[in-house]
Amino acid sequence: LNIVALVKYSLDIGEVKVDPATSALRLAGVPRRVGNIDKNVVEGAVRLKESVGEGATLKALSLGPVEAKDAFKDVLAMGVDEVVLVEDPFDGEEEGGVAVRILEAALRRLEPVDVVVCGFASDDGYSQQVPSRLAERTGRPLLANVRSLTMGDGTLTAHQNLEDRVQTVAVPMPAVVSVDEEAFPPRRTTLMDALKARQKPVHQWSVEDDLGLAIADLAAASHVAEVRVRGVVVNRRQQVLRGSDMGELAGRFIEALVEAGALKGGNR
Amino acid sequence: MTATPPTILVCSENQTLARELVTSAKSALGGRPGTIAALVLSTSGVLPAVAGADTTYIATVGDLSAESGAAAVALAAEAASARLVLISATKLGLLTGPRVAERLDAGYAAWVTGVELAADALTVTARSTLYSGVAVATTTFRPGAVVLAVTPDTFEAATETRGEAAVVALDVIEPPSRLTVRSIRPKVAANQGLATAPAVIDVGQGFRAREDLALASSLAEVLGGQLGCSRPMASDRDWFPEWLGLSGLKVAPKLVVTLGISGAIQHMVGIRDARVIGAVNNDENAGIFSQADVGVVADLYDFVPALVDAIRSRGVTLADD
Repeated sequence: LNIVALVKYSLDIGEVKVDPATSALRLAGVPRRVGNIDKNVVEGAVRLKESVGEGATLKALSLGPVEAKDAFKDVLAMGVDEVVLVEDPFDGEEEGGVAVRILEAALRRLEPVDVVVCGFASDDGYSQQVPSRLAERTGRPLLANVRSLTMGDGTLTAHQNLEDRVQTVAVPMPAVVSVDEEAFPPRRTTLMDALKARQKPVHQWSVEDDLGLAIADLAAASHVAEVRVRGVVVNRRQQVLRGSDMGELAGRFIEALVEAGALKGGNR
Repeated sequence: MTATPPTILVCSENQTLARELVTSAKSALGGRPGTIAALVLSTSGVLPAVAGADTTYIATVGDLSAESGAAAVALAAEAASARLVLISATKLGLLTGPRVAERLDAGYAAWVTGVELAADALTVTARSTLYSGVAVATTTFRPGAVVLAVTPDTFEAATETRGEAAVVALDVIEPPSRLTVRSIRPKVAANQGLATAPAVIDVGQGFRAREDLALASSLAEVLGGQLGCSRPMASDRDWFPEWLGLSGLKVAPKLVVTLGISGAIQHMVGIRDARVIGAVNNDENAGIFSQADVGVVADLYDFVPALVDAIRSRGVTLADD
């Protein structure tokens, strides 16, 4: 059984700040890391690999910048055999369809692949395109938004978290699986895991040399003419009250909420 | 040269959301002539036409999956010569949209809150939520087909009909799904009152035990409000059937009081349209304080009982509209 986990080196969007004067985003210095959702992807994939035992392989595939290389130590320590990092010629600015074309080409080079595991969304983009586009392009069935994953007799079985129901479904392999938010809390790794991970390879692939894709063709496949980004400025009063007498503090809280127009009454 | 009036196709598995999409389509046309076509997916028989649409396509599909939905939407877009397709950003819609984009070789954006179709009827501009709500992206697409997943509750649902709407049946030919459904467990019905509650008491991980929610309930009671929560309270602790935030419900009441909420952007997206936000947190560095109108640095276990007492004894109520 050959498993490939798609892992994104994502912006820590909790650290993205907005300049209140210009609405510009302050992206410089915002840390990047393997996303929370992606760590759940790795955990789900490692558990699947462990459940099969002998003969199962697990590679992680990532489209991202070269400096992402160091971020994969944890992923390898968790139980991934090797990492393939495809250097992103568009530095994350491409539309989802273009990213999926690159990932699809990389997966083709990794064939035979029985299961592709990815996040239902990325931490930063959150547009939820990759699993559906990949399934559509490769003609593989998609087990979307799974909260559990087991394998037997060439079939994958999972609990799917949908809008109005949770359902248990089975699909034949090869298949694409998308992992729901916090479905597989990542394991803690030991020093021994980290030491073993040092021996594992991180391959670096280029879109043109290793995947045979022309960057110009990929750029031409884009449907976007222009994107303008503006931060959302929070216009709240940001009044903060402190005190040790709870009754008195409650009174001031009420008065402030009256002044803000949320409450009425309370005059003494 | 006069451009041919454009056709916009809308599709949602939810009747109300389909009517919201009709309104977003009208807004995209900006008063210029154009046709709005609606696609209704049916697994059984005929469904009612969508209010406000000029034409309703009815596609009978084997199941309400993203695969068959995408096949039907692509077919309807072709039948209607629609180059702009609007889908509601429900879980199913977000699974269907990217597939339609692949099938139509179309541009795509998710979490769309505004759509504009230029007077030339060729250029689509979409406003969408970026980085989980930290920013808004305005994307201008190259001329060609565009598929947009529109955030629910962004537009009012259309109510009026546009004269006699035509109804067209479509034959969707799609290979049977390879998914075998072994069992289905419906989710606990969501709290219908939360979306329209005038006040929301929003509880977070500052609560240590489920029975402590009585504190929050007592505050909700004196304010005539409802309880809401952050995602871990629903998905990890299972204390609530649904949560407020990016991947959950979005509310816009007169007042939200957060209790033990840290203020992560993914959560704030669900409450930031409230008129006033009050926040209680014992960590004075919590991000919630820079996103609230009035914050209190206090242990919610000490503060909330005092607040409930003060509201009662002073006869304080929610303000009028």
